Amino acid sequence: MSKSSTKSISSRRAHIISRDDGWAIKIEGNTKATKVYQNKDSAIKGAKKLVEKGHDVIVHKKDGSIQAWEKGKKDK
Amino acid sequence: MTSDGEDFARNVFINCPFDAKYIKLLRPILFTIIYLGYNPRIASERSDSGEARFSKICNLINESKFSIHDISRLKASRRLEYYRLNMPFELGVDIGCRLFGNDKVKGKRCVIFEKEKYSYQKALSDLSGFDIKAHNNKPRKIVEELRHWFVENDGIMADSVTRIWDNFNLFMTDFELAATAKGYEQKDIQKMGVHEFIFFIKEWLSNKNK
Repeated sequence: MSKSSTKSISSRRAHIISRDDGWAIKIEGNTKATKVYQNKDSAIKGAKKLVEKGHDVIVHKKDGSIQAWEKGKKDK
Repeated sequence: MTSDGEDFARNVFINCPFDAKYIKLLRPILFTIIYLGYNPRIASERSDSGEARFSKICNLINESKFSIHDISRLKASRRLEYYRLNMPFELGVDIGCRLFGNDKVKGKRCVIFEKEKYSYQKALSDLSGFDIKAHNNKPRKIVEELRHWFVENDGIMADSVTRIWDNFNLFMTDFELAATAKGYEQKDIQKMGVHEFIFFIKEWLSNKNK
């Protein structure tokens, strides 16, 4: 298990995490969510551009476990 | 090494179901307790068959300043199914320990979880006046209620609910990776016992805080 802060910007993983009021995209190492969407599908669509930028995107279930993992498309 | 008094002040006895359906709540409970600097104590942590289960539970209760009791699974879910009475029984022992014990245990604190607000009153109306929270079967809600309860009852400063919840999700990612790397299959990860799961949490938090 490695520390996320030692990774390059594009290799930092992005997570789609449940919130009280929707679903958030959170990039590891950032203190705040990038954006909170009303529903999960919108958050997954919103995270597509992060995949293009090279971020792995991990979609979580409401219990925190992993639902899906999309690999980033380029590695800067 | 810590003294017995220091251990007592950080120990949290967990009285909850151990079935597969409850694991989605148990895992965030364990993570939140350890994240906040406490030590979860649970009856399944020691499997010495020579130690009577009830005796083990009494020792855990006596050694823990804090207790979490979940009575949300009291009600039988199917026709002819028995009520599940272990949780309210252990809750009664914990309350009795505080009421009739020595000065140390008189300072014990407990929080009681139920599924929906006031549903306990249908089966355990004697609990009116106790600190009862509803988790609505939602993992994030139980993190929120627990975090606030420790802040209110132990005077600690703690990260926000959102930060703890986000860290739990990050941990679950690394946990699955680490467990898979150790040869666990998905079904083993799902069924992993409490003791092993706690080991993974402590290892992850230790690496995070380096």
